[in-house]
Amino acid sequence: MKTVLIADDASFMRQMIRDIIEPEGYEVVGEASDGVEVVEKFRELHPDLVMMDIVMPKRSGIDAVKAIKADDPTASVVMCSALGQETLVMEAIQAGAKDFIVKPFKPDSVVGTLAKVVEKAE
Amino acid sequence: MDLAKYTALFLEEATEHLSEMGRCLLVLEKAPDDGDAIDEVFRFAHGIKGMAASLEMDSITELSHALEDLMDQYRASGRVDPVVGVPLLFQGLDGLERMVAVVRETGAAPPLDEALTALIQEAVGTGEPPKKV
Repeated sequence: MKTVLIADDASFMRQMIRDIIEPEGYEVVGEASDGVEVVEKFRELHPDLVMMDIVMPKRSGIDAVKAIKADDPTASVVMCSALGQETLVMEAIQAGAKDFIVKPFKPDSVVGTLAKVVEKAE
Repeated sequence: MDLAKYTALFLEEATEHLSEMGRCLLVLEKAPDDGDAIDEVFRFAHGIKGMAASLEMDSITELSHALEDLMDQYRASGRVDPVVGVPLLFQGLDGLERMVAVVRETGAAPPLDEALTALIQEAVGTGEPPKKV
């Protein structure tokens, strides 16, 4: 079972991701509500996947990706973006994120993206 | 989707966001170049937009999106127009508070306040605050 860390400042979004991916066999091992907490929890939990919001307090999702990739270049991070954030998504991919999903979430798209990232990592 | 569960989460978080947004606007009223307050108002508008879009509450999505775009513009300039911009942002906040109150009472979002949304979009589109508020 693949382990996942979810980072989003809205518990609404964290719950929605959890409800989409847990029935698909992913284990959510942690949640973070800002860009500092997600880096700390990544170091503590070593999840297989991180689902990372872009707009978060304290530290942006892009800065958090850079910190995580500096710690572990093999880390698999999937960005959670909104329409209109294409430039930021490209910046995150350049920083090492593996892929992205767009809000509002479509369950099939979320699950398909995670499966693709897991497959590439193996 | 368990609509009741997510609507309850939306009401809880949107209420917190709007309260904090009001606090930040009071800061910007006195210090229109306070970067932290500008970032926070942007983030709260962005957050409400994302939740509303997930619940297909199109009117709340559209108004919060307009506010997010306006704050993005102010983020780029590093300053909110204190004479026209701050009152416009307070109007946007009031509009969102009214809409969230309707969701709390009825479970559904009300129609869009088109005049208010257009006023905010006009300020975004021109890069200048509108002449009338």
